[in-house]
Amino acid sequence: MRIALRNVVKRFKGFTALKGINLEIKDGELFTLLGPSGCGKTTTLRLIAGFYKADGGDILFDDKIINHLPTARRNIGIVFQNYALWPHMTVYENIAYGLKLQKMPGIEVKRKVDTSLDKVGLSGLQHRYPGQLSGGQQQRVALARALVLNPDVLLLDEPLSNLDAKVRMKVRAEIRQLQQELKITTVYVTHDQEEALTLSDRIAVMREGRIIQLGDPKTLYERPNNTFTANFIGTNNLLEGHVIKGNGDRKYTVKTSIGSFMGIADQPLSSGQKCTIAVRPENVQINSDRQEANAFTGKIHFASYLGNILRYDIMTSAGILFKADIKYPWGCEVMAIGTEVKVSFAEFVCLLINDHYTEEHNLTAVGGES
Amino acid sequence: MRASTARAGIDKKFSGNRDHPFLRWNGWRVLPIYIFLAVFVIVPIIKIAIDAFTDTQGIFTFKYVKSFFTDPFYLRALRNSMLLGLAVVVTTSILGFCSAYFLLRYEFAGKKLFSYLTIFPIIMPPLVGVMGFIFILGRAGTVNTILMDYFGFLRPLNFVYGWHGVLLVETLHLFPLITMNLLDSMGKIDASLEEAAESVGSVGLRKIKDITFPLSTPGYVTGALLVFMWAFADFATPLVVGVQDLLAAQAYLNIVQFVDRRLFQMGIVIGVFMISLSIIFLIIARRYLALKDYATLSYSPVEKKALKGWGGFLVPFFFTVLLIMAFIPYLGVTLAAFGKAWAMTPFPVQYTLGYFTRIITETPKYIINTFMYCGLAVIICITVGVPIAWILTRTKMKSRGLLDALVTLILALPGTALGIAYIRAFNMPIFGISLTTLWIIMPLVLAVRRLPYTVRSTHSSLLVVHESLEEAARSVGASGWRVFYNITLPLIWKGILTGALFSFMTSIQESAATILLAIPGWETMTVGIFTFYTSGSMNESAALGFILIVVGGLSLYVINKLSGKKMGGFFG
Repeated sequence: MRIALRNVVKRFKGFTALKGINLEIKDGELFTLLGPSGCGKTTTLRLIAGFYKADGGDILFDDKIINHLPTARRNIGIVFQNYALWPHMTVYENIAYGLKLQKMPGIEVKRKVDTSLDKVGLSGLQHRYPGQLSGGQQQRVALARALVLNPDVLLLDEPLSNLDAKVRMKVRAEIRQLQQELKITTVYVTHDQEEALTLSDRIAVMREGRIIQLGDPKTLYERPNNTFTANFIGTNNLLEGHVIKGNGDRKYTVKTSIGSFMGIADQPLSSGQKCTIAVRPENVQINSDRQEANAFTGKIHFASYLGNILRYDIMTSAGILFKADIKYPWGCEVMAIGTEVKVSFAEFVCLLINDHYTEEHNLTAVGGES
Repeated sequence: MRASTARAGIDKKFSGNRDHPFLRWNGWRVLPIYIFLAVFVIVPIIKIAIDAFTDTQGIFTFKYVKSFFTDPFYLRALRNSMLLGLAVVVTTSILGFCSAYFLLRYEFAGKKLFSYLTIFPIIMPPLVGVMGFIFILGRAGTVNTILMDYFGFLRPLNFVYGWHGVLLVETLHLFPLITMNLLDSMGKIDASLEEAAESVGSVGLRKIKDITFPLSTPGYVTGALLVFMWAFADFATPLVVGVQDLLAAQAYLNIVQFVDRRLFQMGIVIGVFMISLSIIFLIIARRYLALKDYATLSYSPVEKKALKGWGGFLVPFFFTVLLIMAFIPYLGVTLAAFGKAWAMTPFPVQYTLGYFTRIITETPKYIINTFMYCGLAVIICITVGVPIAWILTRTKMKSRGLLDALVTLILALPGTALGIAYIRAFNMPIFGISLTTLWIIMPLVLAVRRLPYTVRSTHSSLLVVHESLEEAARSVGASGWRVFYNITLPLIWKGILTGALFSFMTSIQESAATILLAIPGWETMTVGIFTFYTSGSMNESAALGFILIVVGGLSLYVINKLSGKKMGGFFG
């Protein structure tokens, strides 16, 4: 099942939650809506589920407009953030309920429920009530209930946010595996960027009711086309500046408050134009012997030891903090605060982002289809 | 019944905190509370139970119980009472479910007004209700006069006299109990539970039947049991419309006569039967609710839908008809209270304040007694009820379960049964005086009857004041009582006041226990209504009723202002 949203608008009392959403979700894809709270990701999911009706635009399943089709006839399975297991029904009854409504014979129902319980690894718990299960188990029942009807679309609304960190990792992998196995079109809503990166085929980053960037995890991490995405996904050092000159092949020299840097832009820039440089901490070297395109000096301001990495906050001459990671800190001496260091990074890890370009581009795309 | 689930969380939160001043409230400090409850709740119940099983020589015997259960007359009355109770549960359930569902799930014209007025009937004395019905729907009432004068009916239609009248009056009086309890528990259903049902293909009535209603059962069961008990134990309504064939009516008639010893004894057996029934109900409700803890992880209410088309017309129509029916008594009482020479006409032809002058100048005792007794009762309610709420929320005392159960039992205990129990228990002279000859028994019985409302309201506002707020105050140097005055009291006084007002409002309408206990000189307004009515002074009776309605309405208004719309918990 393919899903398409065409210029979808949703208004609530006093504010517009979605300001023109355009999406094409491919058959069998795990598609994630990622963004901070209030960005409209859950609203989008609920529109696809049919719990809300759009105030403008169209929602299509394959090529059929389903704007007014009630939830019950959309053939979707949904897992809620709080699981929404019916507390007055046992695990078995929760899963079997939808099948019974289809007037399926009892033996068939039992076979299906047993299979799906087996699939999520909960055989033997069918006579428990939801209140007697752990969070992780409830989550699996919710998943089994959503999948037992063989839905065309699986919708997951922050399904892992109520789980402990360890369980979350485990269930995350299980969801991905199950989805690959069933090849079911899945829409996944989360505010956790790490979760989105590990699970998704493609991600739409949302902000204030708009999709701000859409792409596969690698692209979004390595080539964000706006400062919001660059900042929201992973950690980035962002410095504002303006273009001094072009070096050909979309390479430019940019002047910032702490010096001039050479980097690569995904969109053409012109001389004098404002832009932001984005450098990931893991791509920054401290006191390296290598001759890099970009370098400056600063003082250690703060050190945080995270086990797998050692992160330094370095105070630059202009009073801006710059983050740099030491990747294999095993046995490494932590430098004292105030130590003067040389910071350097390569040209190809220095991304030049033109926010102005992004916003303009988005607006014309929306305007063009309305 | 709801308090127990909240307590589970509190136990955890409070463990390991021995420093709290109120945790040191153990043993002797709360002893007066336990003595009060023992003397005024447990002793009367035990005394009446012993009475039912001992003969005049004080020897244990089954003969009264046996004679009750072998007498075809009482068996028929028992069957009638059971059937009446069930019938009222069915009718109130239908009205209660519809009104609660509409109010919770839809937006429609006049909704705010409807939701306010729907609660009204339950706070009115049933006695006033039945009287008002007779003024409008009785043989010479407004409707029948119109039918005979203008539509050529030869004989009046019988709307209220007989079984159907009892059913009608009880239904319109009691349906708000179901509405309020359902509003409370249905309102707490997380929206996602119903959305999940839709996602697997469950819609409309199917969804209501499989998901919404089962999840509302905690509130519904409580409401239905209370409705049954109230209908089962009410004697005033049936007697006024001429039905005597009921247990409660027989209990009243048997107790107030002093001629036949056996009849009196039967009254006691009926009282014990009612008490046993409420205890059994209480146990059923507790067992049931313990199984159904439907608290969910997060909670967001189901969005209200705007009604369009036929629904937008039919739902307001439903409420209009329901409320017109439910408000007929108030119209009747008002007309009779002011109407002069109201006979053979649909409405009074002249109006007067004469009846009010009469009841104020000739029998001021009704009004004075009512306000004095109820005022005292409220003071007792606060003195006893607030500490009980403290014990329930802020201590780890082992006896809390018992305390909670007792408070809930009082809620289910019929006034008729408690009145009979008091007559038996406090008839014995202590230091030469028996309590039944002292007027203080009136405020005492009222306080005990209405104690649960003060306890509940205080309890729920205490639950909201998280203990960390008090801890924070202590961390900046405030001492025990200062914490209470500066932090806790400002946050809970509204809850205490709401509960106290509710206790007051329901005290003034008490008409079972007080009618049984009042001796000449102690009569309250409800007793006055009953006496005036049975002696034929309808208008004076109505004037008293009108005052009760006005006081009730004002109290409800203030309660609404104070507490918002959280009234469901009072009767749960």
